[in-house]
Formats: sequence, structure tokens, C-alpha cells
Amino acid sequence: MRRDAPRPNRVLPLLMLVALAAWLGLVAVSVAPNRIVPGTGFRAHEVVGWAGALGACLPPLAVAVLAWHPSPARLRHALVLIVLLLMALPAWLGLAATRLVDPELPQARLGLGSAFWVLLFLLLLALIELRSRLALSRLVGWVLLVPVLLAWWLALASWLEPLALLQEYRARSDQFATAVWHHLALVGAAVGASLVIGVALALLMRPHAGLQRAGFGVLNFLQTIPSLALFGLLLAPLAWLGANVEWLAALGVRGIGWAPALLALIGYSLLPMVRNTFVALEGVDPAVIESARGMGMSRRQVFLQVRLPLALPVILEGVRITTVQAIGLTAVAALIGAGGLGGFIFQGLGQAAMDLVLLGALPILVMALVADALLGALSERLHPGGAR
Amino acid sequence: MTPGLAAGLRRWGVPLVWLGLLLLASLGMAELEAVFRWLEPDSREVIYRRTEFLTLLGRHLLVVGVASLLAIVAGVGAAVLVTRPFGRDFLPLVAQFASMGQTFPPVAVLALAVPVLGFGTLPIIVALLLYGLLPIVRNSLAGLQGIDPAVHEAARGMGMSRGQVLRQVELPLAAPVILAGVRTSVTINIATAALGATVGASNLGDPIISGIVNGNTAYIVQGALLIGLLALTVDSAFERLLGWRRIRFR
Amino acid sequence: MIELFDVTKRFGSETAVDGISLRVERGELCALVGTSGCGKSTTLRMINRLIEHSAGEIHLDGQPVRNFDEQALRRRIGYVIQSTGLFPHWPVARNIGLVPRLLKWPRARIQMRVEELMSLLGLPMASFADKYPHQLSGGQAQRVGVARALAADPDILLMDEPFGALDPITRDTLQEELRDLQSRLHKTIVFVTHDMDEALRLADRLVVMDAGRIVQQGAPLDLLRDPADDFVASLLGGDDRGFKEAALTRVEERMLPLSPRLIARARVHREATLRQALAVMFREHADRLTVIDDEDMPVGELSLRRLVGARPHE
Repeated sequence: MRRDAPRPNRVLPLLMLVALAAWLGLVAVSVAPNRIVPGTGFRAHEVVGWAGALGACLPPLAVAVLAWHPSPARLRHALVLIVLLLMALPAWLGLAATRLVDPELPQARLGLGSAFWVLLFLLLLALIELRSRLALSRLVGWVLLVPVLLAWWLALASWLEPLALLQEYRARSDQFATAVWHHLALVGAAVGASLVIGVALALLMRPHAGLQRAGFGVLNFLQTIPSLALFGLLLAPLAWLGANVEWLAALGVRGIGWAPALLALIGYSLLPMVRNTFVALEGVDPAVIESARGMGMSRRQVFLQVRLPLALPVILEGVRITTVQAIGLTAVAALIGAGGLGGFIFQGLGQAAMDLVLLGALPILVMALVADALLGALSERLHPGGAR
Repeated sequence: MTPGLAAGLRRWGVPLVWLGLLLLASLGMAELEAVFRWLEPDSREVIYRRTEFLTLLGRHLLVVGVASLLAIVAGVGAAVLVTRPFGRDFLPLVAQFASMGQTFPPVAVLALAVPVLGFGTLPIIVALLLYGLLPIVRNSLAGLQGIDPAVHEAARGMGMSRGQVLRQVELPLAAPVILAGVRTSVTINIATAALGATVGASNLGDPIISGIVNGNTAYIVQGALLIGLLALTVDSAFERLLGWRRIRFR
Repeated sequence: MIELFDVTKRFGSETAVDGISLRVERGELCALVGTSGCGKSTTLRMINRLIEHSAGEIHLDGQPVRNFDEQALRRRIGYVIQSTGLFPHWPVARNIGLVPRLLKWPRARIQMRVEELMSLLGLPMASFADKYPHQLSGGQAQRVGVARALAADPDILLMDEPFGALDPITRDTLQEELRDLQSRLHKTIVFVTHDMDEALRLADRLVVMDAGRIVQQGAPLDLLRDPADDFVASLLGGDDRGFKEAALTRVEERMLPLSPRLIARARVHREATLRQALAVMFREHADRLTVIDDEDMPVGELSLRRLVGARPHE
């Protein structure tokens, strides 16, 4: 079949050129004397001078040149350069901190400018591009991030003291830990409960066509209602229950708080869970089931030894979708007092304290990505015949 | 009643009922004062009156509509570009990013947009646009790439130009899948736009946020009711649109 | 008329078609045969420029194909592929009318042409015009595919394993119909197949390809009688070749006038093939057959010696 001669990879040069434009043209960092005052922006060359700023352009240019005549060896070199650049970002921030932040002002803080975010985004895109061009496995992709994370950890621990994000964290590290814990607990409880209920529902619905239509109808309906609205609509009946049923009140059921949040989260999680379980169980090749029956396996044996194991990866796919979705929805639940990381976001938005917003949003993003990667890998593992 | 109108009504009956309820609720919320009084006996005011519900609904629709329209144009456009010969280099990256990006929770995207773009309606539109792009790009790619290669080959072999193949074959065939992506995108956008009330955009999220802040359950229920009805109206309309396309060919 | 002069196609470092020269006369059906990957489909698709050739020249009625606008070229060449490639979102009539519409024929003329083609291919307008491709059987879909290719009345037809995905009985019927059509329409047809029986049955000229080269070309009977090498011989059926040859010759070509001897009881139709005659002899344990015509009247006789073409002195 067709085998192309190595053509220039135009993706990486484009990414790198945009990165250079952002680096030279956009605000890289901002410095503020305290939390309230808006910061002053600095471009890269205003921090390290034109020589430094242009010098830093060399590695991205090298990546672009390497990609223009791509061979596996050259692309691997480009990959190393990208990882090194990602590791250099915190170091560069440290440098900016020592140059710009007056050590006499303990309140002074370093904010991250748009150039920084754009660079981070483009470098990660470059990483994805190289990973897929070199056909590296998912695992290798994550391993590549280890030195980057180490570099960040080192920088945060030692010389990024004035980073605004870090200061926000320092000011409420206990709260942060509780919020993470609440967030995870709510997600875990919602996913766990919906897994049990969802599988039970799917099993119940399997033999009855009418029940299937009704069940999916209700679940679809539930999923359509926006989260904020569903949280809101649950407030009224739960407030009433909390006020009128004593044992529920004793459990902590009130209009505001974890109870409506958990209920709504379970409601949302049920649709993907039931749908995937159902599709998974129905999707097993009928020939396999037929031959299992033909060999004399009982219904129970067929289900437990054939149908379920074959369906498991797809069911896990449902768990993955549900978990990622629940992580995001739990953030909204903070609005009705359910706690969790969403609290920081809405608190930050209320006080116009953007670093506090970041303190909430970034961990949520990371959580979602990690959950997605872990459960995705697990489901791949469980595919008959192991990971492909 | 003419038969065409009757058939139209039958097809669009469900969305029309939801739309009717939505309009009725936005116009006549005050009539339900007694119910809300029972829900919230201690508050001075039980009907949200800071802005007309109809105005809030209009603003909500405007934000979602503008963001979705732009997202459709940009999303389908991007998918078309990366499936043409000259843009094929960018296909793996765009495809991977579109599927990975859907892992990002919409709240987080909204929250991250604020530090960059500031408060108000514009950042909401931009955030909705960016996030709403992902399902559209993903589905458009799936739709365009899912076309039987033989159909493509036959189209070119019959002497259709690339533009004709795109307009008369590829886009119509991919339309149901693209439309499903648009539906996902719009559904998410309606929900996320409501959160926009927390970053200073005024829309149907307002009564909810205001109710939460003031501890007024009646406000919350009013906002939630309207957003729910809006979502159901739009979603059932898409349902009809998709079902109708599915019947015509497979 | 289609002419290929020393045509080569390279994909990267691989050579798919290696310097082939070929001439397909007007009104001739030329079958390209060979194992998969031998370059026959590539050759076909270079003619309508779905694939551009790397070297050599391809001429259509004396004009290099590169002189034509790509799309104009394809609109005057019919194209049929194995998986039909019918547009699933268009009903049958619209599918058939595709090329006339691309050529901006007036609506009434398109309508007339579609009706004409549908009746030509045995697809009643009333029951098929508004059907969608997924509602058709494999044979019906391929009939539509052929009708679509013929719509703008092209002189040339390219067919890439058009009947490869059909069941044997439908394939038989469609082959017969194609022969019938060809005897009326006299198109210049290039037909790619890996089914040797199909090729022998339909082709005026057979072109055997292997590894991007033409190994042998000529009339089917010539190839059967004198294969160039073992590859061609085995492709033509090895030891069964004789049967295939017998299947290409009609009884009336070998029969002798009725002799004064007793008329043989076993009979065979004058238009039957020698292969069928041989089968009758085997079944009836006879070494002589009476040849009859449509009215069952004896018109000649065929002996076993005569059937196998043994020299009189042997």
C-alpha cells in the first residue's frame, strides 16, 4: 500500500511559531504588591532583556526545524526539547520572581500572564502531537510528564514563594485539604451509588422492552435538565423533608448541603451508567452466548463467566464517563453548600480574586484528567487479551 | 386545518408543548404566588422581580445562540479543514484534543476564562464557544470520517468536484452525527450559561444565584423551573430533528 | 479507444504498475485479471485519473488524459465499483441522474434518461425510483450502479470488480445482462476482476497482470490454448483449462452435417457450449450427439472425436 516519503510536519512548526509570538508579544507575568491591587504586567523581554528572551526562542525554533524533516530520531529529539521546555517554565517563573518581586514586601505576589498559559497549552499540544506521531503508548505519555511534575514540585517547594496561587493555597491549606476530601467523597459516593443502582436497573430492564423505554425516557429527561436547575429543584422538597421528617433531619438532610447535591449527582450519573451497562450486556456477540449455552453452561454460568467478563470493559467506560462528569458537577454543587473545590471557584469569583478561582479550578481539571486516564487505562487492561 | 400543518404539529408537538409551558411560566410566574408563598412563608418577596423573566430568557437564549452558532461554524469548519488533503497533517492533533478536551469540566473552563477575559457577557460567550466547539468538532470528524470510502470514491469517479463532494455528499451524510454533536453542545451550553450568573452575566441563572445568596427557595425554584423548561424545549426539538433525519435514510 | 504507453505508477518507493502498454479498441470489452495487489485496479483508476500515473502516457481517443480537465474527463467515463458507492441519502432515481445533473442537462431530459435506463436495467420506475439504496438487494443496487455509470451515455465504461460481492446466481444473471447490454451498446469497457470464469465469459480480450506487469494479453481462447507461462496457466485453471476452453466454444462451430447413419438418441442444442455437450455425453454414456435447433429439428451431429478436436488421422 501507500507509503509516504517523510513530508514536513507542519503542525509542530505552527505550534512553535504561535508559541514564540505569545512569548514575545503577550504578558508573561504580573506583579502585584498585595492581593487586592491589580498587578502590573511584564513581557518576557522586560524581565530578562531582549537577549534572554530571544535566546529562549532557540529551543522552539529547533523543534520546528527538526519537525520540518521528520524522522523518528529527529522527532524524539524534538520530544526531549519539549519536555525540557516544560521543565524550564517553573524555572523561568522563579527567575522572574527573584527579579521582579521586592523581598521587602511579604504581601507581594507573582501572577501568571496570558503568555504563560498559552505557552503551557501549546507545549502540551506539541507533546500530544509528538506522542501520536511517534505512536507512543498512553503510559509513556504519562511517564514523560514525571520530570515536568518533579520540576514544578521542586520550584514550588523552593523558590516560587511569591507565586500568587501558592500564597492563596498557603492562606487556606487546611480548607483546601478538606475541600479536596469533600469533593472526592461526594464524587465517590455518587459514582458508587449510581454504579450499584445503575447495574441493578440495567439488569431489571433487560428482559422488558416497555421498562427499557420508560427507564431511558426518565433518565434522558433527568440528564437534560441543567445541573444548576436540578440542584435548585431538589432544594424545595428536601427542605420540606428536613423540616418535617425528624430522622432525615438528624441525618443532616436539609434544603442546602450535601443531600440535594448527592441526590442530583446520582440522578445525573445514572444515565451513562445504565446506558453503558445495558449496551455492554446486550453487545456481547450472540454467537459466543449461543456456543456457551451449546456447551451446556447454565444461564447463571453464562452470565457470570461469559457475559459479564466480556461486558466489563464497556461498563467501566460508563464508570469513567460518570466519574469525569461527577467531578465537574460537584463543583457546581458548591453553590448549594455541598462543599468541595467549587467553593473556592465561586468564592474567588465573588471576591474577584482570580488566583483563588484558579486554586479551585486547576485541581478539578487535574482530577478529571487523572480519573479519565486511570479508568481509561483500567478499561483497556480489562479488554480480553490484555492491553492492546 | 391543512394536512401539512397537522403533520407538522404532530411532529413538533412535544417541543411545542414545552415551548408553550416555558412561555407561560416566564409570563405568568406571578400567578403562582400562592404556591411560592407556601414554599417560602417567611420571605417578604416570593416572586423574583429584579428583571422580567422574559428578558432573562431572551438574554439566556442570546448568549447560548450566539455561542452555539459560532461554535457550529468554527467546529464544522475545523473538521472540514482537517479532513481535506491540505489540512490532514492537523487531523491527529485536533481529533485527540477534541476528545481529551471533553474531559475538562465546563465549570472549570468557565472559571478559567474569567481571569483571562474578565467578568460579563463576553467571557461567557467565549467560554461557551470554546467548550461547545469540542463535541461539534468531535462529532463532525466522526461523521465525515465515517462515510463509506466507496461513496467517496464513486463521487469522485463520477466527476464531482471536491466542493460538490463536500456539499452534496459528505456534509449531508455526516449531518445526523454533526447534529447530535450540536445537540450535546447546546445542552451543555444552556446549563453552563446559567452558571454565567456567577460571573456577572445576567440570565436565567440570576434568580437561582440570588435565591441561594438570600436564602430564598422560591427564587431558586423559579429560575430552575425556567432553565429546565428551556433545556427540555431545545432538547426535544433536536430529538425531532434527529429522528426525522434518521427515518429518511440509514 | 484507450491506449496506455509504458505507464508506471509508484507509491513512495513501491512500484504498483510497472511500464505497461495496452490498447483497448472502440467497442471492445477488455478484462484485467490477476491476483489481488497485481496493479489491475490501479491501472483502471489511472484511466479516469483517480490515481495520477507517475510515468508514461495514457491516451483517450488519441488525446493524453492529462489534457482533459479532471472532472470533465470523469464525467465522460462511466465508473462502476464493487461496493456500488451509491449515495445513501439519495433515492435511486436521483442517484442515476447524478452525472447528467453535473453536466447541467435540462430537468426533463434527465427525467427521460433515468426512465430509459431503469427500464433498460429491469428496474421498474414505479417501484424503484423513490427507494433508498439501503432498501435494495445487492443485485438491484449494482444494477443501479451500472445505470448511474451509463447515465450520460459515455463511450467508455470502467468496471472494478462490479459483481464481486454478489451471490453466484445473481452474479450469473448480471453477467448475462452485461453481455446483452454490450451487444446492443458497444461501449469500450475495461473490466477488472479476479474471477477468471467471469473474465473468460465476458471479455473480448484478456489481460493477465502480475506484480504490476502485463504477463500476457490476447483473445480468451488464444490464452487458454497457449498460456505464456505456468502462472497464466494456473490462473486459467491449470488442468481444468480444457473445460474452460470447451465452455467458450459453441456446438454449432464443431458440428458436422447429419450423416446417413442412424440418428443418435442423445441431443444437444446448437447454441450450447462444448462443455455442456461433453456433460450430456457423459450423462447419456454416448459418444455421438444429435444437434438440434430451436424447433427441436436435427441440424447436425457431434462426435466425441470431433468435440475434442482430434485430428482425423489419429
